[in-house]
Amino acid sequence: MNFEFTKEEKEFQEEVCEFIKKESTPEMLKETEDQGEIFGGPEGRKIIKKIAAKGWLTPTWPKEYGGLDASEVVSYMIREEMGYNGLPFGFVAAHMSGPTIIRFGSEEMKKAWLPRISSGEVEFALGYTEPQAGSDLSALKLRAEDKGDHFLLNGNKLFNTSCHIADYHWLAVRTDFDVPKPYKGISMMIVDLKSPGITISPLITMAGWRTNEVVYEDVRVPKENLVGEVNKGFYYLMAALDFERMFPLGIFRRLFDEIVAYAKETIIDGKPLSKKPLIRQKLAQLSIEIEVTRLLYYQLAHILDKGGIPNYQSSMEKTFATELTQRITNVGMDILGLYGQLKEDSKWAQLKGKVERYYLTSVVQTIVAGTSEIQRNIIAQRGLGLPR
Amino acid sequence: MDYDFNEEQELLKNAAKGFLSKECKPLFVREMEEDTKGITDELWQKMAELGWMGLMFPEQCGGVGGSYLDLIVLLTEMGYSCLPGPFFSTVVLAGTTIMESENEEMKQKLLPEIAEGKMFVTLALTETTAGYSPDMISVKAQKDGNDFIINGTKLFVPDAHIANQIICVARTKEGEKKEDGITLFLVDANSKGIEVTSLKTFAGDKMGEVVFNNVNVSNTNVLGEIDKGWSIIKKVLQKASIGKCAEMVGGGQRALELVLEQATEREQFGVKVGSFQAVQHHCANILTYLDTSRLMTRQAAWRISEGLPCEREVSMTKAWVSDSCRNLIALSHQSVGGTGFMEEHDLQLYFRRTKAAGVYFGDADYHREIVADAIGL
Ligand SMILES: Cc1cc2nc3c(=O)[nH]c(=O)nc-3n(C[C@H](O)[C@H](O)[C@H](O)COP(=O)(O)OP(=O)(O)OC[C@H]3O[C@@H](n4cnc5c(N)ncnc54)[C@H](O)[C@@H]3O)c2cc1C
Repeated sequence: MNFEFTKEEKEFQEEVCEFIKKESTPEMLKETEDQGEIFGGPEGRKIIKKIAAKGWLTPTWPKEYGGLDASEVVSYMIREEMGYNGLPFGFVAAHMSGPTIIRFGSEEMKKAWLPRISSGEVEFALGYTEPQAGSDLSALKLRAEDKGDHFLLNGNKLFNTSCHIADYHWLAVRTDFDVPKPYKGISMMIVDLKSPGITISPLITMAGWRTNEVVYEDVRVPKENLVGEVNKGFYYLMAALDFERMFPLGIFRRLFDEIVAYAKETIIDGKPLSKKPLIRQKLAQLSIEIEVTRLLYYQLAHILDKGGIPNYQSSMEKTFATELTQRITNVGMDILGLYGQLKEDSKWAQLKGKVERYYLTSVVQTIVAGTSEIQRNIIAQRGLGLPR
Repeated sequence: MDYDFNEEQELLKNAAKGFLSKECKPLFVREMEEDTKGITDELWQKMAELGWMGLMFPEQCGGVGGSYLDLIVLLTEMGYSCLPGPFFSTVVLAGTTIMESENEEMKQKLLPEIAEGKMFVTLALTETTAGYSPDMISVKAQKDGNDFIINGTKLFVPDAHIANQIICVARTKEGEKKEDGITLFLVDANSKGIEVTSLKTFAGDKMGEVVFNNVNVSNTNVLGEIDKGWSIIKKVLQKASIGKCAEMVGGGQRALELVLEQATEREQFGVKVGSFQAVQHHCANILTYLDTSRLMTRQAAWRISEGLPCEREVSMTKAWVSDSCRNLIALSHQSVGGTGFMEEHDLQLYFRRTKAAGVYFGDADYHREIVADAIGL
């Protein structure tokens, strides 16, 4: 048993933090915040290319594909630190599609895509959700017709974040409408977002950043962009979702540290806020839950490093961590009181308006990548064997 | 990172599970709640023969030389089976106090007897203020030549009714700092002036009021150094807190199993109740409380076992597990329905024990306050 990083891991952690701090620019930090922490903007690409050059974007990948053959613990640790230090931490190509390609893609596909992904050169956008297919992805119907040497795509996608800044669409399509079980007619493909016939329109979220509605009209996709086999896409999609279902708390852990510092420095009625019993209880409780999340998070890495595949544990970590983001931001808003509502560029704004911004952002964390309800279904059914 | 027990610990776990499932059935647990002694000699001797009492004592003191982490394995299974009796008071509280006192003579004298199951010892710590901070120690030990005279009342002393020896935490000096001036005395329970009154508890465990009325104790019975006893008690409290967490985790595991039995057997509206999503989500939350409690307990126990700094982790864990296991049992009751409210259903055993363990050695609020200090608030 051992619940700490090894000496080498700790040293590596410091190296990563130092590098990030050295390479971070105010422009990059601002861009990351404005975009909701996704990857693909010009400033983010600059720093991520440097990080990728060190092998830190995809550390667990084999060396031939631009990885370091490193452990999952190391990989999880880097992602946590990236979040904590204000870098983008949602990577579709490197952390969701890439691992799925490694598992299910052909040799040609691996050669064509993995080096470009691990070097930070390309980013994908997640293309699952449609107006009628949210939690129930088997209901998706963007049609891909087999035209011999290519597929022809027609249909709509909704809430496909990153499409406006990413390069390719990691797209789930329907290749068979006649199967009795709808999930058996789905395929996955990689589509160039600059293809003629694709229209990307903004949808602005309550947190201010953007997601998209995407319309496909007679879009041609080369056959070699099909992932794995036709009509097996739902398995690949599920695998990619499993890779997505882990939530590095970093950015919210950082916010918590800043709220603690605020409580210590802010004097009300001649006493720091941090000496008020109720505030102490609330902040202590959050720090406990952050520790719980740390254990759940690295448990996933531990299971992977042992050669296993996390079962319900990913859903548990994702749910616990994302629900915690809402408790952290809510306590933060309460502690800041009337100041909490002031936006970054307002006179008297505290903590650069971060608390209200993350308070807004936290709402969606328990919805994307499978809602908390879907995760609880998985925990009960996969974890405890209750009837589906 | 390695979250797993080692092979020997897994063996110990399975052996303990097997033994307790035969020797400590729910009916026996209920009998012992009513029994005045609260344990049978037969079971106590069998446990001693398995080496459980001496598990973490050094070999030269008649022990097995195991670690605190090994003990946690055992305590988890004891919690799973609601093991009655004075194992916790004699081994975890008194045994740890004696080990931490680093008094070789006392160790040689007491630990082998405990290991052989021949002696019950308890720790008389809390008083009418019912708390765990050093300023709450007011029972006085006055120096009288080579002896001390102890006066005052200790409350919530576990298994005081059968203890052969009582370790009394007493004040020998009024210091500037409240943790100074506290001394630990080993007192023969038959000494003149000791009066034990049993308390009736809702979890069916045995606790007593111990009144010390001019009790004479020799200075050779001091454990650790005079006036410096609190540093020992601090370590004992850490081990005891996490010990209770292990019991709660074991109990939580059993509660989950009881829920799953009901969920997969009972039908309503023509389907198993476990197919209702409301029940499934209760179950998912139960598993989350259980897994997180287990992980936190393991981490804290590992840190204690390795001698790493652990004050923060121990209090985080006691707070988390006390709250979570209480919530877990409440959800279990809700999921099982009316049957679970019946005395003959085992869930009620865990309902009572979990709350008792939750407040034992400091409830969640108390430990959160320690965490608040530890994170610099
Ligand atoms: C800001 C934002 C960004 C997003 N980014 C992307 C992206 O990049 N790519 C992409 O493909 N998608 C993206 N999504 C879509 C996201 O994954 C879906 O919103 C999510 O899966 C939930 O689907 P829904 O919104 O249609 O809700 P619904 O599925 O309609 O759910 C509504 C309610 O019903 C509950 N519910 C549904 N089914 C069940 C069930 N079986 N059991 C219990 N409860 C159930 C849900 O939990 C929820 O409470 C994004 C969404 C948002 C808001």
